[in-house]
This record gives sequence, structure tokens and C-alpha cells, in this order.
Amino acid sequence: MHKILETILIGITTGSIYALMSIALVLVWRSTRVVNFAQAGQAMLSTYIGFEIASRTEIFWLGLAFAIVAGALLGAAVDFFFMRVLFKHAVSGAAAVVAPVIATLGLLGLIRSIVGLIWGGDFKSIEAPASTNGFTMGETTIPFSPLNLLVIGIVFSILITLAVIFQRTNLGLSLRASAYAPEIAQLAGIKTARIRTIGWAIAGGVGGVAGMLFASSNFLTPYSLDLLLVFGFIAAVIGGLESMAGSVVGALVLGIGLTFILNYVGSSLVFIGGFSVLILVLLIKPDGIMAKGRARRA
Amino acid sequence: MIRKTRAKGTWLAATVLAVGSLFATSLPAYAETGVTSTEIKLGITLPLTGAASPGYNKIGNAMNAYFKYVNENGGVYGRKVTLIQKNDEYSPQLSIAKTNELILRDKVFALVGPLGTANFTAVHKSVGIANRGVPSLFLNTGFSGFANKKAYPTSFMVLPSYAMEAKIIAQFLKENHAGKKLALVYQNDEFGIDGLGAFKAAGTKFDVSIPYTSGEQATPGIGTRWATTLRDGGAQVVVFFGVTSATGALLGGAAGLGFRPQWILGSVGSDPLTLRGLGVPLALLNGAQTLAGNPSPNDTSDEYVKQFQEINTKYNIAGTNFDDYVLQGMNIGLMTVQALRAAGSRPTRAGLIRAIETKGSTFASVAYSPLGYSRTSNVGHTGYYMAVMDSTGDRKPFGGKVTLYTTNSGSGSVDVSTFKRPAMPAKGLPSNS
Amino acid sequence: MESWRKVGLAVRKKIAFFIILGWLLLLIGDRVDELRVYQGAQIAMYTIALASIVLLTGYSGQVSLGNGAMMAVGGYAAALTLNNLGSPVWVAFLIAIVASSLFGVLLGIAAARLSGPYLAGTTLALAVGLPSIANQFAFLGGEPGLLFDVGFPPARLGEEFSQYKWFFWIASFIALLALFITSNILQSRYGRTWRAIRSSPLAAELSGINSSRMKVLAFTVSSGLAGLAGAVLAMTISLVAPGAYGLALSFALVTGAVLAGISSLPGVVLGAFILVIIPEISVAIADSLGNADKLNNYLPGLIASVLLILSVIFTPNGPGEKLRGHHHKKK
Repeated sequence: MHKILETILIGITTGSIYALMSIALVLVWRSTRVVNFAQAGQAMLSTYIGFEIASRTEIFWLGLAFAIVAGALLGAAVDFFFMRVLFKHAVSGAAAVVAPVIATLGLLGLIRSIVGLIWGGDFKSIEAPASTNGFTMGETTIPFSPLNLLVIGIVFSILITLAVIFQRTNLGLSLRASAYAPEIAQLAGIKTARIRTIGWAIAGGVGGVAGMLFASSNFLTPYSLDLLLVFGFIAAVIGGLESMAGSVVGALVLGIGLTFILNYVGSSLVFIGGFSVLILVLLIKPDGIMAKGRARRA
Repeated sequence: MIRKTRAKGTWLAATVLAVGSLFATSLPAYAETGVTSTEIKLGITLPLTGAASPGYNKIGNAMNAYFKYVNENGGVYGRKVTLIQKNDEYSPQLSIAKTNELILRDKVFALVGPLGTANFTAVHKSVGIANRGVPSLFLNTGFSGFANKKAYPTSFMVLPSYAMEAKIIAQFLKENHAGKKLALVYQNDEFGIDGLGAFKAAGTKFDVSIPYTSGEQATPGIGTRWATTLRDGGAQVVVFFGVTSATGALLGGAAGLGFRPQWILGSVGSDPLTLRGLGVPLALLNGAQTLAGNPSPNDTSDEYVKQFQEINTKYNIAGTNFDDYVLQGMNIGLMTVQALRAAGSRPTRAGLIRAIETKGSTFASVAYSPLGYSRTSNVGHTGYYMAVMDSTGDRKPFGGKVTLYTTNSGSGSVDVSTFKRPAMPAKGLPSNS
Repeated sequence: MESWRKVGLAVRKKIAFFIILGWLLLLIGDRVDELRVYQGAQIAMYTIALASIVLLTGYSGQVSLGNGAMMAVGGYAAALTLNNLGSPVWVAFLIAIVASSLFGVLLGIAAARLSGPYLAGTTLALAVGLPSIANQFAFLGGEPGLLFDVGFPPARLGEEFSQYKWFFWIASFIALLALFITSNILQSRYGRTWRAIRSSPLAAELSGINSSRMKVLAFTVSSGLAGLAGAVLAMTISLVAPGAYGLALSFALVTGAVLAGISSLPGVVLGAFILVIIPEISVAIADSLGNADKLNNYLPGLIASVLLILSVIFTPNGPGEKLRGHHHKKK
């Protein structure tokens, strides 16, 4: 009984970090029709910047703030300088299908190499803003700590903030309109290109938070965020790439499921477990669990 | 008559000269891969980055620092010693690729200190170390299989084997922790299984046994899971046979649970400074027991440590803390230079191997136990003493003074040894031949 | 009758071309030193692997990042056959092809319904996940892997004939054979059908082509090729281990394919060459800049990524296309 509770709690914690990543991916997908594999790279770079600030000032929150800003700027920069150039050039031939995917993969490798050249591959750790000692319930200590609780809290505040932005503000309206029907939005006077860049900036900032939260309880190396990318993507697909709420649900389900595999089966099967979930969902409900049967244009 | 004698003398002289010059021109010109008149090139593969790198990535630089010191003081018979480091991220196929580079492209004279059991096993087979006759000195691994001279004719160990280590721990458990619930966490490859086999042979029974796959220690949450399993199994004494980053994960997980058994850390993964760098609070290490072969790196009363510390400050990368790995690296450097000197001023690969076989057992080394090199044995050091860590992470001998245990990798007994190690060469510069 | 003759002539010309190429490689192999011969074997291996990508992505338009995983299947299948059944080497290679083709069928069935980023992401998950299975089952050798020993070169080749040269001979022979067969497949109606599916899926369907079946076929053949490449890789390093087939390999394959022209089979040789050369260049650069550890670890990745990005943006169909484009403007 104990173990199940622990597993679920840890699963929610890891799942919530994946949720951030998957939201960022969905955001970019809806606005640009591109899965931004470089998201992990952007998050990585933002996190390293946050790490620098946090370790110098010894204030985690300052580092987090810088990571968000850096992530947003980076996201905007990637859209403005990279994606536009890409779309201008690569429009025909066999590569039209391939180009955006490979380009963002290349960008991921590029950012990773730059981070490695600047910071090296050593294990870095960020001082956590809350205690990592598990809560005690009577005699036993469960592996769920104040830090885990804080992570969940931060993620859900961000989710609520984003929901408010999207549903209640003009900016949110413009974002949704530009993603759903770009030509009509333009006719209505919305500067879609600029709105798209803002979308990328938000995604980048969110990715920065994901990276910082991940690094606060794990180690930071140029490769440690690859996990986030893979699972964030799987979560987004499970929930349906069109729906942010769906990807959050998908992420939580994935997080809990993977933790069960980790605790009850073995750590080597975690990846294959994730992959199997992905295949299952794609075979049964390719639009994702939350999608309402809308046609999915690739 | 005189004329004849004089003619005879000239003839004699001429003959001698002629024959002598024949010899001189047919004397083989000296040439050996990796040795020039000014330089000896050595190579090492080790994890400079990646999941297993914390701590071990300092060994190469420490060796380099020592070589720099020697080079500034005349080198080895006038030749500079150069060490080429290649990062293999503890991954066997990268070790193969990098070793190929070292042997085929960089054309090194010998490999020194290659790190990793699975790595060297793969390299030895794939690159054909034995076929090529490349000496691989002072392997940074304790897998007892490498002591097989038939299978590994050009290799030499330096660390006591994991089998030896397990036997000594087994003895210590019998003497000091009898009747307690024992647990073992070990790396699930030849490194850990080497120790496991020896524990079995010594009759040690573990109530909880956790194998982990190399690299698994980087999975988020794994340390907590290990600690939970140990705690739920009621373990009172936990023996750990793994790399430092895995130690860090385990201890970190245990901290989060408030689980505090008696830790017994194997020699490979127990450096306190590195563990601190991985986020393990020092308080956790207090009271942890660990086998050690060397004095504590903070023990400046030890002549080896003191000299190495000075070299580290002057010649190593600025800001490098002197810890177990730096000590280990410098010691390998010291032994390497002695080996190169013993090979003579016209060293060949075969000659280097023979030199270690015949003279290696007398080399100076910081470790307390005797060296086992001979014509029939690749074995390096042969013993350990038990140490206890205190609240500063420093290491003090268990029981107040060093009780050295020696044994072999087979069924030999574990004995207390009174061996006295050779004094350090003056100023840390070997002058052996 | 006439068209048969034509076909015969073309195939005969191709055979002659490959034989001449083979002779050239033999000569080169004798003249260069061991490091180059070893790299030659690697180039041969990459050639086969890149051919699998050209077929899958360049011709049938399916972006897969999972060919590294397929190489792993082939490598492990070959190693298990060699070690446990004691079979001759060529049997091990055949089994590698069969095993990975079977996996390819499975993957193809799952993937035929996916496209674009869904396919890419799924195969990415496969590339990350499959090698780690080796850690779960002991008979797969875990992280250190299994040894793969094809044995020494036959005695009649002489004492001086090094192990690496032997690998070079075997790998080159297999590569030439694989390229020959693949080239024939791509120029057959299968190749044309794949191209049709890629460029206008709707029109293809309308003209009666069973897209799903053809896509699965593409995955099957591509995986078979990849599996063969994986077995050749295992031979050159005498080892199969999960680390050899990880994400980095899949990325490298995509990079090489794009650099060489993703739909150009002859380009795979160039792509393979580039993949082997990049580490060399970066070692040279790092040496001249003072051989810092950081440089050595991340410079190859940097160069590869930059090249990849530049080529995908400016010459997405490969440099060859740009050159040909000068002659006739493509719409």
C-alpha cells in the first residue's frame, strides 16, 4: 500500500516536469506545425545559464528567473533567425518533409556542443530550494520530499497561468487564432509572424523552468535533458499534439506509468515501456487520448 | 725480421679495424614505436565525461602533472614523457575506437593506466593488444581475470583485484559485524561479479542483493529505489561495489529516506571529495567504513603524500583538489617512470615488459602492500587495510593504526602483513635503473 | 526483346563498374597504413547504413531516426549466432539481415500510419529505448556487451596480413554487394513506386498503389540493410554493446544521409566518407588549438551539427541536386 502511494507521488512529480516539456512542444507545434526537437537544447542552455546565476548568487529563484528569461529570448531567437530562414529555403523536393525535423535535430546537436564546449561535461548540481529529505509519516520516511511538492506546485501554477493567458487575454486569443487559421487571423489584422515568435518565446521560457526543476533533483550534463525531450514528446503525442490540456494529462499518466515500471519491474525497461505506450496510443488513438476525433494533418 | 713483424702488426690492426667497422655498421640502429631521441609517448583511455566520470577524470591530469615534474628534472634519460589522454566515457566501444587512435595514429610506446574492466577486456580483444605486443601498464581496474599472464601477456595490474578486496571485506565482516543483516549493492558486470564470486567462496551470506547496470546510476530516482529496497529488507550493513557516481546516487537516496546503515564502501567508489561534489552531505559519510590501499590523501605526515601534494600544487591544473584520484594518478606516474628507467636508455616494448617482470616488485609506490610482479605474475598490489571516514570526510585507519591484510585472488588465506614499503625516491624523482 | 537486351546491358555495365571498384579498393588497401584500412572498413559500414536511410527517407519519404536501433538488432543477432551456434561468419551476417528485416516489418506496420514528426518522434523513442533492452537480459551481455570474433585472416594471405585489413576486405565486399543490390531495387518499379508515394501520396493511391504495403516493404528492406551494417560494425570493433548503437549513431546516420543527398544512392559513399573524416578533422583542429579535453569531446559534434544545419537549409536534397539544378530549373 505504502509503495503504491509512494510510486504515484513520485510519478506525479516526474510527470509534471514532462508536462512542462510537452506543453512547450505542443505550443510550437500548434503555431508552426513543427516538432521542435531543439526544445531540449534550448531548455538545456537556459538551465545552464540559470545554474550559473544560482550558483553564484546561491539563490535558486534568481537562477530560475534568469532561466525563464533566457529561455524566452532563445525561443524567440530560434524562431526568428532559424525557422524563418529554414522555411524560405527548404520548400521542395524529398526534403520538404524531412527538413524541419532534421534541422531542429541539428540545432539540438549544435546547442549541446556549444554548451559542452563552454561548461564541459562535468556533473553539475543546483542547490535545491527545498529540502530533499522525505516526509515522515509516523515511523517511516517516504521518498517524497518538500522539493517534490514544490516542483508540483510550480508546474501547476504555470499551467494555470498559461490557461488564463490563453483563454482570457487578447494575446491568448491571437495565439489560438494564428495557430488554428493563420490566413483568417491575418485578415483580421493579427500579425501572425510576430505572434508566432511570442509563442516560441513562451515555449522557450516554459522549457527553461522544466530544465531548472529537473536539474534541482538530478544532475546537469549536456545529455541529461534528452530524457525530458523523449518523454515530453511521448506525453504530447499521448495527449494529442493539438491539445495542451491533453499533453498535461498524457505527461502525468506517463510519469506515473514509468515510475511503476521503475519500481516494480526494472530500470532498463523504462525506455521500452515508454516506447510501448507511445506505439499503443498511436495505433489505437492516433489523435491522442484527448482529441475529439479531429483530422490530424501531419 | 723486423719488417715482417711490423707488417704483421699492420695487418693485425687493419683486420681488427675492418672487422670492427663491420660490426659497427651492422649494429641495429635503435628505433621503437613511440620513442624518439627527445620523447616517449604514452596513452591512456579513461572517462573524462559521462555517467562514470566523476573523480576518475582527474587521474590523467594527475599523471600529466607528475610527468611534467619529471620532465623538468631531466626526464627519463633525457627524454620527455608525454601522456595522450583519450575520453572513452566508460563505454567499451569508444575505448576500442580511442585505443585504435592511440596505437595506429598517435603510435604510442605503451598504454598506461587504461580505466575500466569491460573497457579493457573489449580493447584487449578487439585491438589485439597481445598480438601487437603493446605494453599496457598499471591498469586502472581490479578485475582478477587480468592477472592471467597467458591471456594478458603484456599487461600489468596495479590495484589489488576485486576478488582480493572481497575476501578481505568478508574477513572483516566475520570479525566485526558477525550476526548482522548484510546487503550487497554491486555493478552487474565483471567488475562487480568478480567480487561477488569471492564473497561466495568466502561463505558470506547477503540478505539483500542489488545488482545495477553500469550507467543505470544516472536514472532519476534510482538511488531512492535502491535505498528503499535496502531499508525494506532490513539491511544493517551495506557493502557497496560500484563506481563513485553510483555511490553518490545510493547515499543520496538513503539520505532522503533517513536510512542509516553501516556502510562499507569498496575501494573503487569511495572518494569523499568527489562524493561531496555529487551532493552527498558529509554527515552521511561519518562512520562509513572503506577499504583503502593508500594513506589518506590528507595525511601530510606521509612522505609520498607530501611530495605528491607539492607536485600537484605546482604542476597540475590550477585549483585541483588533492584527493584519492590525484594520489592514484601521481602514483601511477611514479611507477611508470621507474618502469621506463628500468627499461634502459634504448627502451623497447619487449624490454619494458621484461623490466617490470624482473624489477617491478621493488618499485616504490605509495600503497602499503607489496607488489607481485614477476616472470609469471601480472599482479600488482596485494592488500588493503580498513579505514573509517570521519565527519570531515577524511579517512583514518580502523582501530587507530593500519592493519594491512594481504591475500591472493584465489583460495589463499587472508593474512595480516608486516610488509614495509620502499622509501620514496628523493624529491619524488626515481633514480633506479 | 529489345528492352530485355537493354536491361541486360545496363546491369552488365553496373556489374563491371562494381568489379572495377572492388579491384581499386583491393589495390588501395595494400598501399595504405593500418589506420586508413581500419577507417576504410568503417566507411564501408557507413555506406551500407546510409543506403538504408536513402531508401527509407529519400525514396519512400519516411523520416525515421530508428535505423541505429535496427543496426543494433542486426549486430546482436549476428553476435548471438556466431557465439552460440558456432556458425560461419557469412551465416551470422545473413541471420542479421533476416532478424532486422523482421523487426522492420513490425516497425513498418506500426509506422505506416504515421508521418512527419509523429514518425520521427516514435523512431526517436525506439532509438533511445531499444539498445537499453540489452541491459535487462543477461544473455545480451548488458552494458559491456558481447564479443564478436570473426577469427583471423586465413593463413594463405601471409603473416603480414593484418586483422584490420581482413575486416576491410570483408566489409568492402559486403558493401559493394549491398550497394549493387540496393541500386537495382531502387531502379526497379519498387523504387519508382516509393518515389511516387513520397511526392504525391494522393495520386499514388488513386492509381491503385497500396501505399501501406509499399511503406512496410520500404521499412523491411531498409531495416535489413541497417541490420547488415550493424553486423559489419560489430565485426570491425569485435564487439556488440548498447553504447555502440545509441542515439548518437542514429543522429550520425541522418547527418550523413542529408549531407550526401538524401535521395542519392551514389552519394552514400561521400556521406560515409564525411562521417569518418569529421572526427579526424576535429582531432586535427583540437591538436592545433592545444588539445583541451573539452574540445576533443564536443568539437566533432559541433562540426557535424553545423554541417547538417547548413546543408539541410541550403541544399536539402544534397549538394548533387544543387549542381544539377544549374542545368535545368526544378519547379
